Amino acid sequence: MFRKKKKEKEQAQDIRLASQIDEEESFFSLMGRMARENKLAAASAILILVFILAAIFAPFLTRYSYSDMDLLHRLSPPSSGHLFGTDEGGRDILTRLLYGARISLLVGVVPTLLSMVIGALLGLASGYAGGKIDALIMRLADIMLAFPSMLLAMVIMYMLGDGLINVFLTLALVNWASVARIVRSETLQLKKKEYVEAARVIGVSKAVIIFRHILPNCLPTLIVLFTLNVPSAILTESSLSFLGLGIQPPDASWGQMVNAGRQYFYNAPWLSLVPSAAIMLIVMAFNFLGDGLRDVLDPHQKKQ
Amino acid sequence: MVRNILSRLLQAVCVLLGVALLIFIMLRIVPGNPIATLMGEHADRAVIERMTAELGLDQPILRQFIRYLADALRGDFGTSYSLGKPVAALMGAAFGNTLKLAVLAALFAWILGITSGVIAAVRKNGLLDHLFMGASLLGVSMPVFMVAMLLQYVFAYHLHWLPIAGVSSWKGFILPAVALGWNSAGSVARLVRSTLLEILEEDYIDTARAKGRGQLGVLVLHALRNAMLPVITMMAVQFSSLLSGAVITESVFSINGIGRLAVQGISGRDIPLLQGTVLFSTLVVILGNFLADCLYSVLDPRVRKEG
Amino acid sequence: MLQVNHLCTSFFTDKGEVRAVDDVSLEVPAGKIVGIVGESGCGKSMTARSVMGLVRAPGKIKSGEILLDGRDIVRLSEHERCAIRGSEISMIFQEPMTSLNPVVRVGHQVEEALLLHEHVKKQEAEARAVEIFEAVGIPDAKKRLRSYPHQLSGGLRQRVLIAMAMICRPKLLIADEPTTALDVTVEAQILRLMKKLCGSGTSILLISHNLGVIAQVCDYVYVMYAGRIVEQADTFTLFDNPCHPYTKGLLDSVSSLRSGAQVLDTIPGVVPNLLHLPAGCSFSMRCGCCMEKCADLLPELHETEPGHRVRCHLFDKEEPA
Repeated sequence: MFRKKKKEKEQAQDIRLASQIDEEESFFSLMGRMARENKLAAASAILILVFILAAIFAPFLTRYSYSDMDLLHRLSPPSSGHLFGTDEGGRDILTRLLYGARISLLVGVVPTLLSMVIGALLGLASGYAGGKIDALIMRLADIMLAFPSMLLAMVIMYMLGDGLINVFLTLALVNWASVARIVRSETLQLKKKEYVEAARVIGVSKAVIIFRHILPNCLPTLIVLFTLNVPSAILTESSLSFLGLGIQPPDASWGQMVNAGRQYFYNAPWLSLVPSAAIMLIVMAFNFLGDGLRDVLDPHQKKQ
Repeated sequence: MVRNILSRLLQAVCVLLGVALLIFIMLRIVPGNPIATLMGEHADRAVIERMTAELGLDQPILRQFIRYLADALRGDFGTSYSLGKPVAALMGAAFGNTLKLAVLAALFAWILGITSGVIAAVRKNGLLDHLFMGASLLGVSMPVFMVAMLLQYVFAYHLHWLPIAGVSSWKGFILPAVALGWNSAGSVARLVRSTLLEILEEDYIDTARAKGRGQLGVLVLHALRNAMLPVITMMAVQFSSLLSGAVITESVFSINGIGRLAVQGISGRDIPLLQGTVLFSTLVVILGNFLADCLYSVLDPRVRKEG
Repeated sequence: MLQVNHLCTSFFTDKGEVRAVDDVSLEVPAGKIVGIVGESGCGKSMTARSVMGLVRAPGKIKSGEILLDGRDIVRLSEHERCAIRGSEISMIFQEPMTSLNPVVRVGHQVEEALLLHEHVKKQEAEARAVEIFEAVGIPDAKKRLRSYPHQLSGGLRQRVLIAMAMICRPKLLIADEPTTALDVTVEAQILRLMKKLCGSGTSILLISHNLGVIAQVCDYVYVMYAGRIVEQADTFTLFDNPCHPYTKGLLDSVSSLRSGAQVLDTIPGVVPNLLHLPAGCSFSMRCGCCMEKCADLLPELHETEPGHRVRCHLFDKEEPA
């Protein structure tokens, strides 16, 4: 019924698409196409790469120490010596930003990976098994999603206690439910596909069907979800740290730097603003990249 | 239709029960006796034991939970360990502020988001489109505390236009509400734009134009009503994230609200306070979702059940 | 009534200009049903949209005139066009399932045109809507006004769309594949309805890929291929004496179905890409009688007999020098 729709209207577009999508594209050629068509996504990917490299090679990029105090130069404004100024202990903010990137990026990636694994496994189980297992997992997801995420994170942090690992666990526990829901609905659709039916009829085992036939087809969605969930994990962590509930000193994440700078905000706003801007940039970059990836990997979702 | 609403209501109650149980369990599996932690190292063991028994903390978790629920239904959420007052009274005082803040922020976000989204869609690829979409991107990416601190710095500290903290007058709500609504405004604007652009491609838009409706008529009478459907769903989700953001905003602007009580609950290791505030906030979210569901079925005849 | 002269409508895409409608001239006399037939993508819907003024970006009417009772409506302002749309010309779209606004009661959608153009009271509009619903054969008309589109079947929805198009008694009705999405019995009912409408004084421009439909109701037929008209004649002549190889091919593929042949006669090849049309006859690549000059030289529309024109070099009157 929809196939005939808007034939004339989309004719021009069809011609364009037909010339581009020849057969199945490899992952790399897809990425190349995204880079060519979506300059913003390409620039974002580069920015993310720069952040990652800067975090890894932080010691080589700065001549200051990230922890040694220099009380003569407390709260000095941005200058050529200290590009982003110094903090209340006279430490170079750029340096602390580079080291803080390590924690902030880890906090974006590790819990998100964890929540993807949990969410994907539960989603697959829920969608494939159906029945009681499905009902149980989905009700649990409903409950998790009913919480305002900040408050849920606060309760879990309280339960687990401070520490980097616990921050990871908290963020993973806060985010798995939405992943599980999406993977479940995808699994339900894939389950009805002919090749899955066929595999089942010839007696292929459940595990093989799930991991060889269903999971790989969920991958594009998972990649997009991952890219879009990283910034939300970074935001949640920075909010927790801003309240003093997340990363604790001497570990320094950007959110925690913002928090540390709060009491000097009116005299030395750069203390909080510089790490805030860093958070904003990385969040924006991941969002752009995620949108770009969705456009090339998941055209249905775009059209829907 | 009525049956539909009732079944949704039942669902909401079940989720709420689940939420309550989950919070209860999570806060009870913290190692150590909370009373002992609270009273410090030198407290008398007999006193600790007496208080533990008094609060019923020595009983099985399920019994404690049922007792808590029964009390909560009567409006008794226990007594705050750290503030020494009934949690219900504390929340009652704070809830008004949080609700005002959240509703103002939501209004700000929805009005700004919907107008700019519609304008951007109508002027697709024009100057206003790029301007609004750029701004909305900033809106989506800026952490709440950054917006809050910037607004506070510029409009309160620097220009002295609005109070820096507190809500002693209505003016005190302006900056926190804008800071809180900023993110949502961005995402609403983006959603409205993309939905509207899709809907303007629909066949029934052609039908309306073929009838002789002008551009404005088509937009307002035919496109917007359909475009509002996904926006309503999003608004419900947004309301939940507004309550999350309220924790931050209340902290920056020193507003006595639910979010600040929750933070107090954590820093004071005050289980009744934390439990009460989280449960209450979640109740508000669930209620919001329920109302959004109802509104949706009023606006979309396809989900209504006949008879 | 309606006269279209040298209409050109193009899409301006990144890859270049797509000439969806190329130099099309046609005429719909008062009280007649005129058909346009062709494969999907041949530009027939675009022609209809051009007449309605509903071409979407990046499409644009490039040149030509569309005369409605002698008035060129291409040059009207958007405001003046809105006044004509729905009252003097109206259109039925090919997708009854998606052409009605899902969240508005059908009665309201039908009355809307009346309220817009004739400034009648709500009650009178409702009375007229009931009347027109009965006229197009919607049972239980009064009750149906309060239905939402999803509560109606495809056939009923198409009737609602026809009612909507007819309620202001337009001079010209454009029907773009009005029966394609419907099953055969409903199709017959809708076609009968259109004949009845025509009898009461409305001219109809009927667009279809289905020769059977065209044969049943049309007085005169234009055959379109790749944006151009390749043959035009009154219905009897066209079916009796098709001249253009494309028309013959179309008719053969239908008649081989009728005669129950084991092998279907089809036209080899596919519609050419409108971005890369050959310089000459656009059908030359699929044509069984293709000659040397066909690929390079665009044939004219020759009149072979009064009222019968063909765009094919087979009918060139004199050899070009």
